[in-house]
Amino acid sequence: MSAAAPALHRTVLRLHRTTLACWTLFVTAVLGWLGWLGGVSAPHIRHLETTCDPVRDLCNIPYLGWVYGERLGYVASVIGYGFLAVAAYAGGALIGRELENGTAALAWTQGVTPTRWLAAKLTVPALALTAGDGTLVAAFRWGWTPHRDLRLGDDWSFGGIFLARGPATPAYALCALAVGALTALLLRRTLPALAVSLGATGLLHLLLAHVRPYLWPRLTRTEPHPFELDNSAWEVARGRTAGGGHWATYHPPSHFWPLHLMETGIVLAVAALTTAAAFALVRRRTA
Amino acid sequence: MSSDTALRADALGKRFGLRGGWALRDCSFRLPAGRVCAVVGPNGAGKSTLLALAAGLTVPTEGSVTVLGTTPAAARPRVGYVAQDKPLYPQLTIAETLRMGADLNPGRWDAAGAEQVVAGGDLDPGARVRSLSGGQRTRVALALALGKRPELLLLDEPMADLDPLARHELMGTLMAQAAQYGTTIAMSSHVVAELEDSCDHLLLVGGGRIRLAGEIDDLLAAHLRVTGAGTPDALDAHTVVESRVTGRQLTALIRPAGALGDDWRTATPSLEELVLAHLRNPAAPALTAAGDAEDAATARNEEHAA
Repeated sequence: MSAAAPALHRTVLRLHRTTLACWTLFVTAVLGWLGWLGGVSAPHIRHLETTCDPVRDLCNIPYLGWVYGERLGYVASVIGYGFLAVAAYAGGALIGRELENGTAALAWTQGVTPTRWLAAKLTVPALALTAGDGTLVAAFRWGWTPHRDLRLGDDWSFGGIFLARGPATPAYALCALAVGALTALLLRRTLPALAVSLGATGLLHLLLAHVRPYLWPRLTRTEPHPFELDNSAWEVARGRTAGGGHWATYHPPSHFWPLHLMETGIVLAVAALTTAAAFALVRRRTA
Repeated sequence: MSSDTALRADALGKRFGLRGGWALRDCSFRLPAGRVCAVVGPNGAGKSTLLALAAGLTVPTEGSVTVLGTTPAAARPRVGYVAQDKPLYPQLTIAETLRMGADLNPGRWDAAGAEQVVAGGDLDPGARVRSLSGGQRTRVALALALGKRPELLLLDEPMADLDPLARHELMGTLMAQAAQYGTTIAMSSHVVAELEDSCDHLLLVGGGRIRLAGEIDDLLAAHLRVTGAGTPDALDAHTVVESRVTGRQLTALIRPAGALGDDWRTATPSLEELVLAHLRNPAAPALTAAGDAEDAATARNEEHAA
């Protein structure tokens, strides 16, 4: 006889309802911010473009566009790097604290096996993260795609924007959840698990960000004379050929999806391996 | 495995870490169903490890533990456990804690029984667990453990932070449960006197080993406190647990192997004397198999009759 899954999930929800409320609030706030940037800021600049006289009205359209792009970049960072908060939460509050306080043992001595407890502890936040991040990514794509010409200092290859435009965002969040669970199970203490989980997830991201341009074949352009690549290209390397010519390797914007999906795949593979390790550890440690 | 055994250990051992010391080693005993068993021993003796192994919270390094005739994992729904520090979710109210018990123990949960234990402490069901005192937490933790109507209840230092009144009242609740449902209870303490009145079975753990195991009456009957003028070697025929010479007077706690001479004054030791004598003398041989204790008691009774 064992607890029915809905009852177990209901218990996990009840235990973490404050976190769920915070997450909902965060998603709502970012959606509101995006809505304001896309629905109010950008149309306002467009309106000024046609109506204001720079000399008479002292309006500086490029500056306004830069501010608008900068704010959109903040949103991208908040969405794209939100997984760091997930890593800290999963290692600390979600699993680590339960092992340190002994409340995990409390759950395991109800009619719930440790593996089913871990499954519920991971499934509920995984669903909330996927749903929330899915919404945020869709909203960011809606806010980012138009008005490209207004925004200066904004490029598809920038870290936050690169992540926030696709499934890498929820993938990193799920991976952070799994890394947090594994470190918490290994260390069994809240603060060390929080720190190590955050460090390990951050390190994984740094590593992947470093190898990101090499996850898909680059294009090479060679010219006899010095040249500039198109503004939209992501330049990876540049140099001189033996014959005195100039070359550059780069990714055109069309490489976004292959690059993004390669990274997503690697992150999901790490998440799967880490999750498997966490379950193996629980199974080995407990009866 | 007979179903009249609530808990059975065979060469059970647990070591923490690869190079860590043994918390428990070479433990073999059998706790019959329906008993109230005191798990006694000094701090760090391995009591908590033993109870955690029985609850399936950790796995043995060697040997095996059998709970209610099956593995600890399979027995999980039928076993109640309260850890030493009474962990509860601080963010839940008492009522929510009990609802969690109902959710996680479907088909077994005795809501009325659990609420009754809580009501006995005059606690507000709407109070958050984080606002409770140590004793109140113990009461809620016990309510959660009793609510699943366990066949075996494992309690690690259950009464440690209770005032004498609450201790008496909760012990009464436990004993009523044991009597009403035939629940086997194993509870640990380092204070023997705390458990002496309520328990009929003893498991003495010292230095990671089982020193004494059996019915308390049988264990007491198997030992004698002897006093007389003489030297320790006069008792060589018996198993001497502890002996002390004061002047020309020899006082000893022995397991008699046969009749004693008339020049010895004998008395039945108290449980506390028995426990302390074994803990003070780690070299004294253990008396563990319940069958052995019964045999010894029977042998002695037959001698008396003869």
